[in-house]
Amino acid sequence: MKKEYRIPLLSNVAVGSATHVLTFRSKEIAAAANPGQFVNVSSDLFLKRPFGVLDTDPEAGTFSIGVRRIGAGTGYICDAVPGTFFEVLGPLGNGFVFDQTKRIIAIGGGTGIFPLRFALKRARELGIPSLSLNGFRSKSDIILLSSFEEVADQVRISTDAGDFGTKGNVVNLLSELTKEEMKDAILMTVGPEIMMKNVAKWADGAGLFCQVSLEKRMACGIGACLVCVCKVKAEAEGEPFRHVRCCKEGPVFAASEVIW
Amino acid sequence: MVDLTVRVGPTVLKSPLLLASGTCGFGREVAEYEDLFVIGGICTKGLTLMPRLGNEGCRTAETPSGMLNSVGLQNPGVHAFLRDELPNMRSFGTKIIVNVAGHDTDDYFRMAQILGDPSVPVDVIELNLSCPNVKEGCMTFGASEEGVYQIVKGVREYTDKPVWVKLTPNVTSITETALAAENAGAGAVVLINTLLGMAIDIKSRRPVLQNNTGGLSGPAIKPIALRMIAECDQVLHIPIIGCGGIASAKDVIEFMIAGASAVQIGTMSLLHPGICEKITNDLICYAESESIERLSDLTGTLLRW
Ligand SMILES: Cc1cc2nc3c(=O)[nH]c(=O)nc-3n(C[C@H](O)[C@H](O)[C@H](O)COP(=O)(O)OP(=O)(O)OC[C@H]3O[C@@H](n4cnc5c(N)ncnc54)[C@H](O)[C@@H]3O)c2cc1C
Ligand SMILES: Cc1cc2nc3c(=O)[nH]c(=O)nc-3n(C[C@H](O)[C@H](O)[C@H](O)COP(=O)(O)O)c2cc1C
Ligand code: FES
Repeated sequence: MKKEYRIPLLSNVAVGSATHVLTFRSKEIAAAANPGQFVNVSSDLFLKRPFGVLDTDPEAGTFSIGVRRIGAGTGYICDAVPGTFFEVLGPLGNGFVFDQTKRIIAIGGGTGIFPLRFALKRARELGIPSLSLNGFRSKSDIILLSSFEEVADQVRISTDAGDFGTKGNVVNLLSELTKEEMKDAILMTVGPEIMMKNVAKWADGAGLFCQVSLEKRMACGIGACLVCVCKVKAEAEGEPFRHVRCCKEGPVFAASEVIW
Repeated sequence: MVDLTVRVGPTVLKSPLLLASGTCGFGREVAEYEDLFVIGGICTKGLTLMPRLGNEGCRTAETPSGMLNSVGLQNPGVHAFLRDELPNMRSFGTKIIVNVAGHDTDDYFRMAQILGDPSVPVDVIELNLSCPNVKEGCMTFGASEEGVYQIVKGVREYTDKPVWVKLTPNVTSITETALAAENAGAGAVVLINTLLGMAIDIKSRRPVLQNNTGGLSGPAIKPIALRMIAECDQVLHIPIIGCGGIASAKDVIEFMIAGASAVQIGTMSLLHPGICEKITNDLICYAESESIERLSDLTGTLLRW
């Protein structure tokens, strides 16, 4: 039987100005989590908050998440000291699909880079060549660069300000790819909705399969309440579209299914 | 050994704990966290005659001690429910309460006819006269004595199964709509559904919910539910099922003392799947320590000042 875990925070490391990497002890979550899945974490507010799994260490029985402080819930979590107990549900949802993947291009922006770090690590374990493209606002916002270099074959960065890597956003990085780099590649993208929409559009034009990880406000995180639905293409005739649960059918979807 | 069974009219429940409509889907997800065999029953997501996609845009907002939702009765429709969900629900080994919502009176009657047929293995029909998130039907009927009476009376013609009437707290006098349900032949009333509320985003100056308003649930509404149950207990002759913010065994006991024969747990089961097992254990401990042999003896034992 699955259960809600009550687990301790082991470490809380600030990475960049408003972002923290938090590591928790949970044998069960560490053993079961797949890239793209998320955990629903308590704070001092009423509802839990969802975060993509950043890393797991099944041997040590630990897992980590990356959290950006944007409001009261993430503020509480970012300020938590080791030893604090949290109520956590997870791993939840459907993650990325790696079947028959010959090459991975992972495209991240904002907090979307966290689940992609886990996906790239998995790709490395599966022997799948990978390329990581991450977008930031400026050089001073860049985080976890060396951590990505550890797991991806190549890492490329874009900055809006143009003070590091390619000037512009991740779509600029995509348009710089060579034919060779694109051949048989599967795209995985997580980040702001507008970024994912543009990546999906680019992938469609390039004829590449693309997986996106959507973000909706959630309550239960397990598929019971229907507050988190995403709009996807209809299956049956006469249906205008479908509402599927971000937390259960997602958060990862084939980009071609999503209605933006 | 404490006896947890309770009676709601002819329906015997293994325990006073039921899972509330809309907070447990059709049981598939909670069944991974909770042994549904030991609870009293499970109320389905609100069903309509035809499938519904529900409301678009943001459907939830957080409040202190509660949440707003504006799902808008997303459901696969009664026929898909019978085909795809009911057989699985039966395997839980607990009572199945179907929550039924309609646009108009005919919708309610037709669904009562379909679900009330003796060959359909559902135990209770729960009329949702209280959903605040759809433009037509539901709360519009539940808001007036005439509306409640007309639907319950009509539904009774189509089925011999127990009919519970889930009422809205968004009324001036809950006893009036509750009495209308009783007079029309309801087997029990369920008190309460969500309270109509709003959340505002100060940056955009827009309501957080794209539906503008939503239903408030969770511990924030518990005192209102208790007050309404206690009021109705003084005038009704049919059983009351309590609902609203229940989070612990202590809450269950308070609801029973106020007049509830059984209770439904909604939001807190969403937040803490597996909560019924904990509450059940705590209820047993409480009853043992207070030397209560039958939990149902608590119902309606409020000593008013
Ligand atoms: C599947 C999934 C995975 C996620 N992974 C991560 C992750 O790895 N790291 C990370 O830092 N964050 C992640 N998030 C986002 C994170 O859950 C939110 O930032 C967090 O819930 C905000 O809580 P808060 O209390 O700090 O902010 P709130 O006080 O709740 O909100 C602050 C502001 O952000 C807006 N907001 C909050 N949540 C959303 C939303 N889902 N959609 C639109 N607007 C919103 C609010 O309207 C408000 O203006 C993920 C979300 C999902 C659904
Ligand atoms: C997300 C959500 C969906 C709901 N959907 C329904 C529904 O379909 N039909 C219904 O009668 N009540 C519905 N309700 C109301 C609950 O069944 C319950 O009456 C209410 O939430 C108060 O109880 P609680 O505080 O324990 O949640 C819903 C509540 C929530 C939070
Ligand atoms: S958050 Fe409850 S169904 Fe997705």
